[in-house]
Amino acid sequence: MQGVIDREWIVKKTLFTLAMITVLGIVLLIFFVARESIPAFTEAGPVNLFSATWNPGNGQYGMLVFLTGTLATTAGGLLLGTPLAIGSALFLTQMAPRRARSIMTRGVELLAGVPSIVLGWLGFTIMVPWIRSATGSTGTGILAASIILAIMVIPTITTISKDALEAVPESHLQAAYAMGATRWQTIRRVLLPAAKPGLLVAVILGMGRAIGETMAVALVIGPASVFPKSLTSPTHTLTTKILIEMGESTGVQRSSLFAMGLVLLLLSMLLILLVRLVSRQKETMR
Amino acid sequence: MSTDLKTGVEIARPSVEVVGDLCEFKDSRIEGIIQQSIARNEKRAHFYDRVATVTVWTLSIIGLGILAFIIFVILYRGIATALTPGFIFGKPQALKEGGGIWPMIVSSFYLALLTIAIVLPLGVGAAVYLTEFSREGRITRLVRFGADSLSTVPSVVFGIFGMVLFVIYFGLGYSLLAGAFTLALLNMPTVMRTTEEAIKAVPHSYREACLSLGASRWETAKKIVLPSAMPGITTGVVLTVGRIVGESAAVLYTVGLFVRKVPVSPLQPAAPMAANIWHMYTEGALVSDWMRVANGEAAFLLLVVLVLNLGARLIARIYQKRLGMVS
Repeated sequence: MQGVIDREWIVKKTLFTLAMITVLGIVLLIFFVARESIPAFTEAGPVNLFSATWNPGNGQYGMLVFLTGTLATTAGGLLLGTPLAIGSALFLTQMAPRRARSIMTRGVELLAGVPSIVLGWLGFTIMVPWIRSATGSTGTGILAASIILAIMVIPTITTISKDALEAVPESHLQAAYAMGATRWQTIRRVLLPAAKPGLLVAVILGMGRAIGETMAVALVIGPASVFPKSLTSPTHTLTTKILIEMGESTGVQRSSLFAMGLVLLLLSMLLILLVRLVSRQKETMR
Repeated sequence: MSTDLKTGVEIARPSVEVVGDLCEFKDSRIEGIIQQSIARNEKRAHFYDRVATVTVWTLSIIGLGILAFIIFVILYRGIATALTPGFIFGKPQALKEGGGIWPMIVSSFYLALLTIAIVLPLGVGAAVYLTEFSREGRITRLVRFGADSLSTVPSVVFGIFGMVLFVIYFGLGYSLLAGAFTLALLNMPTVMRTTEEAIKAVPHSYREACLSLGASRWETAKKIVLPSAMPGITTGVVLTVGRIVGESAAVLYTVGLFVRKVPVSPLQPAAPMAANIWHMYTEGALVSDWMRVANGEAAFLLLVVLVLNLGARLIARIYQKRLGMVS
């Protein structure tokens, strides 16, 4: 009997350790990325790091251009992707005939599985030349990146907003229908308001996806380390800058790339907190 | 009923009846206005309803159209290359034409295998702890917060973290093992979550029956809960393999992006397909047929991911059917 209890204790502690690896992982991640970025803060200084000029040869390590690139492409991607995604979620939950629903579900799953490098390759070989011939620019830039990101956020936003829409009690909808409301009136006045916090969470998580996307964007956005003059002139985001320069940089330049990684980490943690806040609000509302 | 509409004396009664029976109104003018206005409102509502229906259908069809376009173009351009034996089993070339991608294919699956070997115990163990060995509280919240945070970290940040910790600090060098550790951390939240869901779907009565026979919690988890959750876990693992094979940003600075020979030891550098496409994009122009190689590799990679995705669903369905027959 004693042996059984001991084994249980050991198993429990082992499983506890395994579970804590998630916490350990994120702590190690923040620690190591922060540690590598210390030289950037001590030698270049925060003012230099957050300035608008990136010119390592001249001792200038400003990341403002890339931060702007990240925010602009994310906004563009969400602007294009959210209507498609929430439309698809409405379709899936409210309108689709059975057959169409299963095709659509499978489609969203497949889209989520398409590797980002494949999407980027498609963007580089097809979309960029289209934009180039339409506008006479290089074709790379915010516009191309936004379109690619829109495609990438669709599965995330669709799946999560579908869950949010399904969580609205069927009786609420039936009550609206019983009073003679049309389907759209029911969706707009009952379904969407009730699912709003969930939809917000979906968009925030889509935002996280867009901010962190690297490969697909890297192939269609650059290369240039200046503010873009238009939607179709080359620039960089935080992720693509890290990706492209990490291999061949040393010293303060390398360290400032880690500082960019730290900014990305902080951004994604901020989104997690935002999601928690919205979800908590959702709970108190009910 | 002698209703005087102007003084409003009897307004209360007829207005109730308006709802039930408009014909109670003797004043045909008002009756007409009301009916018109109802009709107009209804018409407008139905018009908006139709517009909304058409819009939603269109948005969904656009979404599906994009997917179809992606799959069609990638396969159309690359499949002829991708499915020739000379390409699949051929050696990569850095300077002349006619290169194949055999080492890259091996790298991808080798990396996936190593990663799964690491992440499976971690993710399943964590999920079993959360569902079977703990009560909702501060610790489970902490674990979930860790998992949520990990799952939003951009993959390129995982890449540079893996480079610092595993490649440099632990001295593994650019190697399959360094990449596998990095990707294990990256995929742990998903494996944990899919396992947790699969475990939660196991009926409570199963556990109770087992515990009431005197089995310990671990015995119950090992012999009853995990086997019942197996279909869900398997589906999750297959999907994770798909994600590992498709991952590139976290792989570039931990595993490598070009090799000539098939990697043998986990301590060797390798070049998974996804990372190698990036290599083709940045350096490939050294070879004149780099576009052909990259197209073929993209098609092959997409094909692998599609098969894994469909395979995962198939496994889930087969298991479901079998379980359905047993119970």
